[in-house]
Parts: sequence; structure tokens; C-alpha cells
Amino acid sequence: MKLSFLPLLFFAGLLSAGCSNPDSSTSTIVDEKDARESILVTDTALANLSPALAAYLQKSNAALNLPVPVLPLAVTDSNQAMAQSIALADPRLKENLFDKASGKPFRNEVFNVYNARPQEIPKGFVESKVYRVELYNYALNLTSIALVDLAGKSVIGVNTVPGTQPEIPAHLKALALQIAVRSPEVIKALGYQPNETEALMANTKTALNATKCERSLHLCVAPTFIKGDKALWVIVDLTDHKLVGIRWTSVGTTGPAPRISERKLQFEKIMECNCKTVQSVSRNGWKMNYVITSSDGLRISEVYYKEKLVINNAKLVDWHVSYSGTDGFGYSDAAGCPEFSQAAVVAVTEPKIKTLEDGGKQVGFVLEQTFSSEQWPRPCNYNYIQRYEFYNDGSFRVACGSLGRGCGNNGTYRPVTRILFANNQNQFAEWNGSGWTNWEQEKWQSQHEQTAYTREGYQYRVGDEQNGFYLAPGNGKFNDGGRGDNAFVYASRFHADKDEGESDLVTIGPCCNTDYRQGPEKFIEPNPEPLRQTQIVVWYVAQLKNNDRAGSEYCWAESVLEKGVYKTKAYPCMSGPLFVPVKK
Amino acid sequence: MLSLCQLLILSCKEEATADEDAWSVNSSPCQRQPAFLPSTGLNPKAAAFSTSERNTKGLVLKEVNAAATDTVKKWQHPSWGKYGWMGPITTDDNGNAYTVPVPVINLLYNPINKQNIIYKVDSRTAAMQPLTELPVTERTATENVFGLLGIYFDCSTQKLYAASIAASTRDKERGILYLIDPADGKILDEWKGHDAMGLCVAGITGEKRLYYGSSRSSDIYSIKVTAEGKFSGEARKECSLDLLGPRGDDKARRIRFDKNGVMLVHGVEFNYNLTAPTERQETVYKFRYSEEEKKWGYEL
Repeated sequence: MKLSFLPLLFFAGLLSAGCSNPDSSTSTIVDEKDARESILVTDTALANLSPALAAYLQKSNAALNLPVPVLPLAVTDSNQAMAQSIALADPRLKENLFDKASGKPFRNEVFNVYNARPQEIPKGFVESKVYRVELYNYALNLTSIALVDLAGKSVIGVNTVPGTQPEIPAHLKALALQIAVRSPEVIKALGYQPNETEALMANTKTALNATKCERSLHLCVAPTFIKGDKALWVIVDLTDHKLVGIRWTSVGTTGPAPRISERKLQFEKIMECNCKTVQSVSRNGWKMNYVITSSDGLRISEVYYKEKLVINNAKLVDWHVSYSGTDGFGYSDAAGCPEFSQAAVVAVTEPKIKTLEDGGKQVGFVLEQTFSSEQWPRPCNYNYIQRYEFYNDGSFRVACGSLGRGCGNNGTYRPVTRILFANNQNQFAEWNGSGWTNWEQEKWQSQHEQTAYTREGYQYRVGDEQNGFYLAPGNGKFNDGGRGDNAFVYASRFHADKDEGESDLVTIGPCCNTDYRQGPEKFIEPNPEPLRQTQIVVWYVAQLKNNDRAGSEYCWAESVLEKGVYKTKAYPCMSGPLFVPVKK
Repeated sequence: MLSLCQLLILSCKEEATADEDAWSVNSSPCQRQPAFLPSTGLNPKAAAFSTSERNTKGLVLKEVNAAATDTVKKWQHPSWGKYGWMGPITTDDNGNAYTVPVPVINLLYNPINKQNIIYKVDSRTAAMQPLTELPVTERTATENVFGLLGIYFDCSTQKLYAASIAASTRDKERGILYLIDPADGKILDEWKGHDAMGLCVAGITGEKRLYYGSSRSSDIYSIKVTAEGKFSGEARKECSLDLLGPRGDDKARRIRFDKNGVMLVHGVEFNYNLTAPTERQETVYKFRYSEEEKKWGYEL
């Protein structure tokens, strides 16, 4: 089946407005409501360009081509100009101007030039002649500070402080405000387009953590607009020149107003709207509920196709990552909610619903969720994606993928997926080359070179000739870059009175078994139960070997320097079975 | 930079003179080397406990201050890896060490029902055994997988303080601070309703107080403690890591005071989940107390 994936197009940036709290009787905290109504912007497109922003970007890009690739501060005072010039000529300040590996320039900018404070001036220098020049490196998120002696026309010293940002200069403050006031999300939230003078605290840097800004070490500010007794915080990313998100808070008459950082904005929105609240979607003949769990990824449940219950629920239990170079070295990660959870890799966006197209025709939709380590794509950080695909013809796919990067190029990812089918009179059968053979008992089996498939690519059947689904494992034919799953498939019997994975599972298996012992075998061994005419749980564990060779990258990610800042290039390895109705 | 939970056995504070009783609280370290140290073969002047060794579960003794090219010598008693991954460590005036379990990445080795146990490493035998299991009255297993987060030996009373968040949820702060007798693990006092991580007793402001870092916010609080170490009065906010450092919302994992009375706070990211970045996100912050203004000021 050929598919092409149609990315989200319906409007730039705005993916969710408020989410309702079905149990509103427990929602007594005002802040909870603000969290629900906050907006996270995940669109990567550049902000609506104002003329000033366009001009700034032009100058910033031009500076990258200079022998000393630094965007200088526009100053009128001759002493400031001389101090800046002397500083930029000093070899110590040039230490962090270029990427040593590629030779490409980083984006650097002089933020401030001013008379040094008395306590900063070493003995023996004339106070009025010593200036402080502050330079910010956007790619490395570090500040370099040069003390310049105008009398001696020399640099007294250079101090580089990683992980810090200088005071934001007025022109960047103005740019942040322009991005804010021109954002459709801000205009809609306020009910009008504010002018720039209405913003408060525009020069306040937000401290950011486990958010996009912190993870990519971007420079962010938070212009804030007051409306009545509420304040609208607008988080603006000045490295990417875009809106990160918005959120209302109380102005805080009885105490300090709560500070909104990108992490708080993001985490609380996801927690309120997608962890505490079960969402629903109904389209293309499908109807279902979904929620981000504490440790089992994005879980779908009560999945109906044309009013018929198809699956009770499906979820991603674990990611096992092993490295072949070192025995027993690896990770067994749970993906889930960003706070108060068992997740090692947390949700960083809300679930997204996108249209699926094939040959220009709409054929279904996908429900997608991303989980990411804070420092991805740096080594030993992970990014996972879950995709539930639903087709107009009643087929569906439970897919997932890794976007690397992991701790080395000798890694194998084994995602463990669990699917509970609805029918309690099911059978599980495998294709033997000429017909279907039922599994009489709970069992597991791996894909291998001799595995038999029907000509449509089906290996298993859940149900019978009249009812049910064929299972087509990943064989590199789903047009998503997948190279084949080499999967273990397990079928176990569902027990309503025994929890064998129905609730959130703690880590089901260790990182580094290379055989079938990935966790689901616990519900089969040592005494497999009969599997005829019963409700069946299908477990699917793909085995995805990563690759970092140029041109063959798989389950991999890299940082590349583009226009002076790092961007991520990801090479996902997608996996997961397709279920096709026996009778469409 | 010291990695997480490394504790030099010999001394964690330098000596200071003091005019008043409160000022002298914990200004002189009382910690002693464990008696078993010579049998480990490690350099006693450079040996430190660690629970941050990613390839070794539990508690480890290692030589610090090794050059980058040296092989770091380590030693682990067989009992030290039995109880899962460990977190903060503290030692007493007899060379005994105390540590608590904290899960890393997953719960494979740290079952939830074992997260509220304090372990003691005997100074003579080096064996690690449970000292006491603190009660857990309520538990929401999938929501909060943590129990004990902080432990501290107070030289002035020779008692242990411990902080547990076992019963806390996202909506309810139910953390408990405990005063414990290290001789038998008996709970001598408790103070409920506060989720805490880093702990330290000091008298730097003229009053003997237990300083603690909230695990819910970037704030550092204190509560007065009596001569016997019991909790007295209400919490008082001392200072905050809010907006400081590269992350801006660190929580105070470890609090200590140097010989000049400067508060050294090790701040880390903590969101009640199991993220465990390989490059630990930790920053040390300094605060100095102003007698005139009666408050702490952040020092760069």
C-alpha cells in the first residue's frame, strides 16, 4: 500500500486551544484552567516577518560571512565603538566564533557595550577608560565578556561563561515584541492586536527547562500583556525568531504572580489536557479515546470503526535499547507524561491529528505523539514517535519509531507494543504458505528469512475468515522509510480478572536481551494457556538496528549548523504492524 | 565538578570559629572515616562514596581527584548493589554511612514498595542493611515513583534527618521530614506536608535551623529545630534558585555551608519523573547571608 504523509497544514502553529475538563467539579484551582487554555506552538515556520525582523535577519546572516562573524551592536558613542572594535580583534574572543569540526561560523552577536563597573576593573586602570563588551553565541548558548582598556587600546581579559545569556539589548527586545504582537495566537487571545508599549517585562529572560528553548539552549523572552486582572505571557524564541506559546496567569494581587517558563507552559498544558484528561476523536468512520499515560506512551482505547468496537486499547509499553559493543549496556525506557510519571522519555508536545493521503486522495488520518529527552539529539538522548494510522477502509496501523540518537552506532531498538482486540471469540492464526494454521495455545514467534506471507504480505490473522484482521508486519513496504521489523509477535489470552498489562506497566523487560525475552513472554510462560475462542492480546516487538553511515542513517539524528545555529536532522526508523480487515 | 552524590569521607566542611551556640552548629565536621576503609586498598585521603556510577548499581567507594588518564579505582562491598540504585549519602561521627534508594531511568531495580527504606553501611563490617522502613500511608503508584529523596546526619545532635515524598501526588504535597535516631532507626519527630530534597542543619543566621530544598519549586526553606533536633515553628523561605543558572528552575538537591557561611546549593532538574540525562544537569549556586538586611543574596 502506497501512502504519502500529509503534514499538518490547517493553520500555522495553533494546534490546540483549551481542553475541557470533564470532571470540572475537581477543578477548583484557577491556575489549572489557565494551563488548559494555554497554547503550545510547535510549528517550525518562521514568525510573521515584520520589516524590522526581516532587516535584522538579513544583517545577521550577512555577519556570518565576515572574517570575524559577529553582528556588532549599533552604537553611536565613539568610545563604545572603539571598545567593540578592540574586543572583536582580540584572538581570545575569537575562540568560540567557529565550529572547530566543520569550520563553519556560529551566530554571534554583541549584546552590550558599556563602562565597566568599578568592582570589575582591575587595579591600575582608569575607570572611565575601561569598557565591558558582552558577546552572545546562539549556537553554544554561551556569553563571552571582554574587558577593554581604551587608553591602552587593548583587551584586559576575556571571560567565557557557558550556559549564560547577557542582558538583552533594546533592539532584540523590540523584535520580541514585534513577534508577539503580530502572532495570531496573541491577537486571538487578547481579542485585539496590542501595540508594543502595552507589553510588560519584555526584557525579562525566561529561565527555561526541559522545553524546546532549554533543550536547544535558545534565547527566550516573555513579553506580557495585561488585560483586566489577568496577564498574558507570550514566550518568544529569539534564536529561531518565533512564538513558543502563550498562557494567561492571574496578575497576583496577594503575592507575586506565577512566572511562566516554557517548561511550565508545556508541561502543565500536556498534563492538564492529555494526561489528566482523556481526549476523543471521531473522523473518517473511526471513533476513539486517547490519553498520554504515565509510562505506556500514548494509549488509544474504545476504538470503533463504523460503530463496531475493534480494539479495546493499544499502547507502547517500553523501549528497550541495547548496544552490542558492551554486554548488558543499554536502557529500558518508558515513555509517558512529563511530570509525576514513570517516564524516562517524556511527552514534549500534545498529540497531533493529521490527514493521510495517497496519490492526492485522503485515505485516513494519523494520531501522532512525540516523546523526547531534553538534550536530544546529543549522544545518549532519545526521541520516540508513536503513530496510530486509521484508514477509511477499516485498516489501521500501530506504528512507532526512534529518531535516535542513542549512545552509539551499535544500538538496537526494541519497542514493545500491546494491542487488546475487542472480540472475545477470537482465534489467532499464522500463514503457513498455503493456508491458515491456528495457534492452539499462547505463543510467540519471530520474523525471519523463511517466514511465509500471503501475497498481500500478511503473516497472521486475528479472528477468522468472516471477522477479524490480517496482520502484516513491517517489511519495508509501508512507504515510511522502514526497513523491516524483524519482529517478535506474541499472542496471549486476556483475563478480565488478572492484570496482564491492562493498567500502566512498570518496565516490562530489561534492556538487553537479544531473544524473545522482551517482557510479554511473562504472560505466556511457563504454562501457555489455550488461545481458541477467547479475547486476544497481541504483543509486537520490532528489532531496529541503528546506522550512522552517511547515506544509510537509520534510528539516528545529528545536529547540523545552519545559519550559525544548530538544527536537527533526524533519520527515523519506523516500525509496526498493519491490520487489514478480513472483510472490508 | 563532583558528580552526583559524591561525598568525601574526611571532611565536607572546613572549621570555623563561632561566638554563639547557634553559629557553631555544624561548623566543625564530625564525620569520620569508616573503619573498613584501609581494607579496600583505596587511598584514604582521596576516597569518596558515590551513587552516580552509571555502570555500577548501588553504592560505590572510589578515589576522586584522579588525573584524566588514570584508571579510577573503585570498591564495592557485595551488599552495596543489592538494593537497587541509591541516591543521597551521609556519614556520621563513627564512620557509618547512610543512603536511600532513588530510581534511575526505570523501576527494574527499585520497586516502588521499597522506596522508603534508609540503609546503613556499617563502619566496621562495610555491610549495607536496612536501618528503618518509614511508613507510607498513601501511594499512587503510577503518579509518583519516589520515596526518600534526602538524608542528612546532624553532628550537633547526632541524629539523622530524612525527607520522603512517597505519599505526594501532583495535586497534593504530602512530603514528610523526619528526625531519626541512627542507633535504631526510630522516628523521633516528623513534620508533614513538605516535599523536600536537599537537607542541612546550620546556625548561620543565629538560629539553629534545618534548611531544605523544595522538590516542587526552586525555593529553599528552613524550619527551626530545637536543641534535640525536633521541628519547631513554621517554614520560612530563605532564598530561591528561580531564574538562576542555565535552566532557571532547578531544585536544591544538596545544601551545604562553607567556612565563611556561604550557602552552597547543588541545583538539579527534577519533575517527579524518571528522566536521567547522561550529562547530569547540575549547577552549584552560592548565597551569602546579609546580617544588615537579614536575607540571603545570590553570588555569581
